[in-house]
Amino acid sequence: MRRISLWQTIVFLLLAFGFSTPALAQAPTEQIKETTDKVISILTDPALREPDRTEERRGLLRKAADERFDWEEMSRRALARHWARRTDEEKREFVSLFSDLLERTYMDRIDGYSGEKVLYEGETVDGDYGIVRARIATETDAEISAEYRVRRKENGWFIYDVSIEGVSLVNNYRTQFNSIILKSSYEKLVKRLKAKIAQD
Amino acid sequence: MKRFDLELSVGLFIILGIICLGYLSIKLGRMEVLGNKGYELSALFSNGGGLKPGSSVVVAGVDVGRVKSITLEDYQARVVMNLPRGLRIQEDAIASIKTKGLIGEKYIEITPGGSENIISPGGRIRETQPAVDLEELISNFVFGKI
Repeated sequence: MRRISLWQTIVFLLLAFGFSTPALAQAPTEQIKETTDKVISILTDPALREPDRTEERRGLLRKAADERFDWEEMSRRALARHWARRTDEEKREFVSLFSDLLERTYMDRIDGYSGEKVLYEGETVDGDYGIVRARIATETDAEISAEYRVRRKENGWFIYDVSIEGVSLVNNYRTQFNSIILKSSYEKLVKRLKAKIAQD
Repeated sequence: MKRFDLELSVGLFIILGIICLGYLSIKLGRMEVLGNKGYELSALFSNGGGLKPGSSVVVAGVDVGRVKSITLEDYQARVVMNLPRGLRIQEDAIASIKTKGLIGEKYIEITPGGSENIISPGGRIRETQPAVDLEELISNFVFGKI
């Protein structure tokens, strides 16, 4: 009798903990902190600083970013009205182009990391959407405010927009993409993105 | 008889004058009479930046509505704006506070999104961008131009 109740307890515990997804229970700030810490540890790893390991380092950084950024949602928001008119093939191509563009634009900046600290100031969660506010403190005591806009998916919170000093990344690209598409065409935009990514 | 005619015409003239005055003040003051024809949306900004009730709401540079009220909610500026009924604002639209010229008046610009979900009247625009000085410059500097 006693044995059965012990087994029951074990089964119950397994059921209770086995099916709960730890990612969902986590607050968005924790998940963003996790990714940021990972990125900083890659950046500050002296072994990866060797010139011949740049490729590997960039690969690791990209992988860390891929885990937390929702590139498709970002692309959808950046293309806005023009997104619905694209075929699935074009959408897929655009998502990869846009994430490559962001990688290219920010990799150089992030490479210049010199001990900046990220302080988390709080978060607001509203249903499936959330905002995480952070402050980036540089060595020279300058402070930059950053805001991550996140969306809940089955396996955690994903970033779909970043605001630096109140300026939204998605809005910046949305305005630029819209004016390029209206002035010329979507094909021209893709061409420009490709040229920008290929540029050294 | 003649005197009555004169009084009547003066009276009519005065009434006409008052109607003109009323029309002018409504037109110039941009007041809304006989109820609003549009619907309301709200948005929360971390910085209202000198926006006033009556400020314009703009989509693609076209004046489409007005700011109805600005109140403080949880130390953020809650802006209620009035938009024409036919104008549909997508769920992922971004409302940002901008300045006319360098030191001009503030207005709200809505950049339409691509979502199929439309914000229903009385709803809230989730994505906002507060008032920033020289924001275009910072935007291009921080995020890079393509």
